[in-house]
Amino acid sequence: MVDELLFFMEVLVGGLLAGTMYSLVALGFVLIFKASATFNFSQGAMVFFSVLAFCGFMQDFNIPFVLAFILAAFLMVVVGLCTERFVLRPLMNASEDTVLMATIGLGYVLEGLAQAAWGVEVRRLDLGIGDFPVPWIADNLKLFISALDITAGLVAAIMIIGLFLLFKYTKIGLGLRAVADDAGAASSIGIPLKHIMLLVWSAAGVVALVAGCMWGARAGVQFALVDLALKALPVLIIGGFSSIPGAIIGGLIIGAVEKVLEVYIGPFFGGAIEGWAPYVLAIFFLLYRPEGLFGEKIIRRV
Amino acid sequence: MSTSTNILDIKNIEVMYDNVILALHDVSLKVPKGKVVALLGANGAGKSTTLKAVSTMLASERGKVTKGSIDYDGTSIDKQNPSQMVGLGMVQVLEGRRCFGHLTVEENIISGAYSRKLSKGDINQELEKIYTYFIRLKERRKSQAAFTSGGEQQMIAVARAMMAKPKMLLLDEPTMGLAPQLVAEIFNIVKELNQKEGVSILLAEQNTNVALKNSDYGYIIETGRVMLDGTAKSLLSNDQVKELYLGISKKGRKNFRDVLKEESLTKKKIN
Repeated sequence: MVDELLFFMEVLVGGLLAGTMYSLVALGFVLIFKASATFNFSQGAMVFFSVLAFCGFMQDFNIPFVLAFILAAFLMVVVGLCTERFVLRPLMNASEDTVLMATIGLGYVLEGLAQAAWGVEVRRLDLGIGDFPVPWIADNLKLFISALDITAGLVAAIMIIGLFLLFKYTKIGLGLRAVADDAGAASSIGIPLKHIMLLVWSAAGVVALVAGCMWGARAGVQFALVDLALKALPVLIIGGFSSIPGAIIGGLIIGAVEKVLEVYIGPFFGGAIEGWAPYVLAIFFLLYRPEGLFGEKIIRRV
Repeated sequence: MSTSTNILDIKNIEVMYDNVILALHDVSLKVPKGKVVALLGANGAGKSTTLKAVSTMLASERGKVTKGSIDYDGTSIDKQNPSQMVGLGMVQVLEGRRCFGHLTVEENIISGAYSRKLSKGDINQELEKIYTYFIRLKERRKSQAAFTSGGEQQMIAVARAMMAKPKMLLLDEPTMGLAPQLVAEIFNIVKELNQKEGVSILLAEQNTNVALKNSDYGYIIETGRVMLDGTAKSLLSNDQVKELYLGISKKGRKNFRDVLKEESLTKKKIN
């Protein structure tokens, strides 16, 4: 009995921590959705691009870890800058659908650029954190939990707190929230939209880099990261597209549910329900709570 | 009026949307420094379009000034964008209040100071000054803007614009949908801002009577053309204005459509 409970705990905690990795990817989507009400289809490509660049700096140029990370982050800011200047600004008055299509195109450009610059083979990314159980926890709590999962959880927590402080207490954060509410009114009082766009795309790029590092360390830095980012979609549907806490909680829910279902119900379906279970959950949310758990409800005065 | 005393000088502008829809045919108007000028007319007459042409917000609605010129404070606004205009001291309060619903009342007001480089202390000082005009907002400073009343939202919108320290305010139908008492309250505040802060004001309104009573000068536009202009006093006593916009007539009640028919003999209609 105790063993079974311990096993369940292990599955649950493992799932929750793996979920934070989804959260990290979802965060990037939320940032851009908040500012421009557009689902950024290129987020997956940004994850791939950033982490591949990071690996490239380290492995091809022998640049030390920290410096390579800073360079990659800087590169993502440059990508944000170019996106704002060459994609978003010319489409300033275009409809949201047009911008959405542009992000798909941008995704392909980034994928192509990344592979042209750094090659197509799968790269190994060693963060110095093993993807194996932490001995101390295994000995004392009898739970087998991966060190990489714990790191991802911590990193996600730090990023959330950082972003929360940025939005709540800084001037540019206030500007971003104003733009998220009513871009027209924001520009009428002199909040420059291009600064806000630049901020969110750069922030989303850096978030993509962090998410890419975590995923790359686990699964290798490879093209599949692009599709993996789409796992963030059910996370966003559950958490709410415009909510940062929602992205986190949504990721945790997806992570936990998919692992628990896989272990306990999976065998009845012949396994591998991890792949589709989150989407079933997402459909239920779309039916009964379309704004998600934390999405901003449309406030209407009666 | 010599040009140097006019903070805003619009000369014969024509405005098109989407390169095909002609919204303004020929609008000229002047706002003297420190005065309140009312821009009056019915729905679709071109009031909002005129204001947006001035604040350069037209571009975001695919509109363009195709003829004529707009000078603000002695220089052309040709190459400006909305945030540059705010920097130059021209702020528009958009029609329909447009508060940031998810932000608190205070955050809404502070956001108006975005274009200015102020320290936290300066912002608080400015905020206190603004609250002296909008006492009601101080009580509600912590509530979410979307849950405040229509009158309060209008006050938020004006207070927010005032945080940018404007030399000139463009108010687009500030009394839309408000009870008469609130209309009076809003206009009192507008008058006070004009007199104490020296802000010049261009005011688009459908509420002709109240607007003229609180302005120095008035322009009446119809289908994208200025039909009539004069001092507020002269317009209030003008028979045509009385008949068409104030609903007062010497000859007893007259059908609005009849009046329009008479007018249409001399004026072309768009649309």
